[in-house]
Amino acid sequence: MQNQHIFRDFDKAIEALKGEVLAMASLARQSLERAMRSLLERDIDLARSVIADDSDVDDLERKIDQTGLDILVRFHPVASDLRLVITSMKMAHNLERISDHAVNIAKRSKKICKTAPLEEAALAEPLYTLADKLLRDALMAYTDTNIELAEGLKARDKELDRLHKQMIASLSARLEDSDGRSENLLHLIFVARSIERIGDLAVNIGEDSVFLGEARDIRHDHRKQPPLTTEDSGPVAQGGI
Amino acid sequence: MQTAIQIQNVSFAYGSKQVLHDVSMDIPARQITAFIGPSGCGKSTLLRCFNRINDRIPGAHLTAGSILVHDIDINRRDIDLQELRRRIGMVFQKYNPFAKSIYENVAFSLRVEGRTKRSELDGVVENALRNAALWDEVKDRLHASAFGLSGGQQQRLCIARAIANQPDILLMDEPCAALDPLATLKIEELLMELKKQYTIIIVTHNMGQATRCSDKTAFMYLGKLIEYGPTMQLFENPQNPQTEAYVTGTFG
Repeated sequence: MQNQHIFRDFDKAIEALKGEVLAMASLARQSLERAMRSLLERDIDLARSVIADDSDVDDLERKIDQTGLDILVRFHPVASDLRLVITSMKMAHNLERISDHAVNIAKRSKKICKTAPLEEAALAEPLYTLADKLLRDALMAYTDTNIELAEGLKARDKELDRLHKQMIASLSARLEDSDGRSENLLHLIFVARSIERIGDLAVNIGEDSVFLGEARDIRHDHRKQPPLTTEDSGPVAQGGI
Repeated sequence: MQTAIQIQNVSFAYGSKQVLHDVSMDIPARQITAFIGPSGCGKSTLLRCFNRINDRIPGAHLTAGSILVHDIDINRRDIDLQELRRRIGMVFQKYNPFAKSIYENVAFSLRVEGRTKRSELDGVVENALRNAALWDEVKDRLHASAFGLSGGQQQRLCIARAIANQPDILLMDEPCAALDPLATLKIEELLMELKKQYTIIIVTHNMGQATRCSDKTAFMYLGKLIEYGPTMQLFENPQNPQTEAYVTGTFG
């Protein structure tokens, strides 16, 4: 990946693809940041701009898929080049989903902004801060092929899941005594849900980064059963703990 | 998986020029093994060691190691070269039919062996042409000149000629280099059928061909075997940076 291809057009196409992915990542992260700011600062215009700009992200997803297809057809990439094309196309899909969640947050924010200030909105800030860090690091893991950073994302996402559960519990408790604010509290629950999903998508990007760098598929690793450990449970796989 | 050819620490030289350095690998039976690498890396030389066709070149000699075909050392002094080359057929880059009829091209080696019974020859010729996926195209003009066939057909005729000898192993040195894309695909399709009966080793510069056809691929560079493994692994996740650079086209 580091060396130049003998056929320079291949390098140009690969660079174009990388550039498109980075542009899309930047837009998606910006959308998330503006959607959250609109919620926390009660800025309805900002929410509107996030919703309007989503089509730019959609356009980039189509463009990346087309560039990826063109590269597959024209250059028949293999090894790390093939992995780069495949992960870039998957990355575009994940980024599009992140942008969609940002739009969801913006739509909920718009509705919340039209009513009286909602102090519970601030509960979403720590979630967002953590999710944004996960997303930033996932993008860095992808661009720098930083395997250590990528592999650490899954564990860090568990903290986001914990915060999410905590926030849902807190909002659910307040729903019972919401005093006419139940609709807004429900909007906030969906905002929290979107932020939690963004964390999951950042983990996906991290997994793809590991595949890009080392051709290792670490998806669904948690489902792999450890070897049996007790002595009285029949034949035990060699190397068991 | 049965091994057809065991290459053990083989070094080979043309006179004083060492062209293969300590190459070791096992080639599985009834699979297709591709040799890839830049020109001059030694892949054709290695291929030609298997039927000792290099012996014809003055000064060419094995400097170390051994090559076992079905556990027999083919460089033993008592090896019958004619029998060795009957069991290990070869197809070359440039199709080279004899200036004879289609029928006589396939029957030629049998006639050389003294097998002239018409009914036997008819059976062998038909069988070889069928196995080479050429029978339907030539059955009505078996006694016409082989030169009237298209390039792809002439190459398949050469394959038919090779398999008429009922070899165990087929060596192919860039068999599609002179063919158009469709004729190439026909040969590749044929290879997939032939590997059910024969061990095939193919030298190719066409990496798409190696990925489409071969079960295992060996990458050679400067006379050394750099990487050898399942084809998909070699093209999806090469372990050696030189292999990675070669297959991605960032070499040199």
